[in-house]
Amino acid sequence: MSQNPELELAVHQAVASVDDPEYPGVSIVDLGLLEAIEIDENGTIAIGLVPTFSGCPALAVIADDVTEAVEAVPGVLDVAVTWLTSPAWTVERISHDARQQLAAEFTVAVELGRRAPECPRCGAPTVEQSLFGPSRCRSVHRCSSCQETVEVMRS
Amino acid sequence: MSILSPAAREVIIAFADDEHLMGQQHTEWIGVAPFLEEDLAFASIGQDELGHAALLFEVIVGSDDAPIDAIAFFRDADDWRSCTLVECTLQDWGDTLVRHWLYDAAEELRWQLFADSSVQALADLAVRAESEERFHRRHADALLDALLTVDDAAGRLQSALGRLLPMALAMFEGVDGETDAVAEGVISAPFASCAEAWKQRVTDRFGAQDWASIAAEPSANRTTRHGDFASMLDRIREVLDLDRSAVW
Repeated sequence: MSQNPELELAVHQAVASVDDPEYPGVSIVDLGLLEAIEIDENGTIAIGLVPTFSGCPALAVIADDVTEAVEAVPGVLDVAVTWLTSPAWTVERISHDARQQLAAEFTVAVELGRRAPECPRCGAPTVEQSLFGPSRCRSVHRCSSCQETVEVMRS
Repeated sequence: MSILSPAAREVIIAFADDEHLMGQQHTEWIGVAPFLEEDLAFASIGQDELGHAALLFEVIVGSDDAPIDAIAFFRDADDWRSCTLVECTLQDWGDTLVRHWLYDAAEELRWQLFADSSVQALADLAVRAESEERFHRRHADALLDALLTVDDAAGRLQSALGRLLPMALAMFEGVDGETDAVAEGVISAPFASCAEAWKQRVTDRFGAQDWASIAAEPSANRTTRHGDFASMLDRIREVLDLDRSAVW
């Protein structure tokens, strides 16, 4: 914890207010992108984020959104957002709430461990159709029961 | 960003240039690959390789966009250290699939050379890259598993292999100063030390090869460019040449 827990909390909330551009309403913090917040005595904020994949084209948009949100926090003088190379992002970093939200609102499942991801509609196991999907972090599956097409986040 | 020796820079640039061009080559199949899943796959795999290239350049010049653009797009052809395998433009998707497999089989071994690098950013990157690369190999292997059991496809892939192996072997050619980079601990061994393990993978995948009769196309320590390089670079710079300040 920093010397200024109120400011740190406010900064954390500002970062958490930023949604993933692919999933409006889903916070980047819930997706596990926030790794570190450092505040120096002058009120300069360093934010370390973890990219889902190193070539993700949304990184610049997310960094701009985070900078804008944190700059709006009273007492913040300067913000530097850095994409960290380490640790590597994994789907285990996605919160339980975000998994529920992805399933309910986007028909997106999360592949945890070796178990076949469950269909967000009916709960049956899904079968992979294409290793690569509409973005780098998603493959395309089909439900073995209701035949719904399901996008699956994996790492 | 750390202070790097000229030898370390050369080794990193060679890898970054390979990743950059491999990524660009893959992305040129978007919309023209034989089926939709391949459009998506080559888009995603190309995106990863471009991401790795950007991160490798970042180790050299830092994370600001302008110096990365300068080193990635505006060097003279003589200053590139890419290999001909990634410089040549392939017109055939079968050739492209075989190149994808040959390159990624070598890339896995190449990242392992950086796993204990004295440059921490490279060691970190080696871990991150491997978590992405295994998808690339799974993709290439899944297609080859299917296609190599069909006579017509297998014949075409084997002849693609025959055309590509001389260039693929040249991939292992080092850059000037590579032995210094090894001495500094930037890489654990020269890239050429991976060639035998890679040949074994090729043999396991495609069958026995008469390696003694396949000569690597010489590239004078990666200082000469393939005939397709200039037009490739023109395509890469098409937008920036219209407007140097273009962003998207």
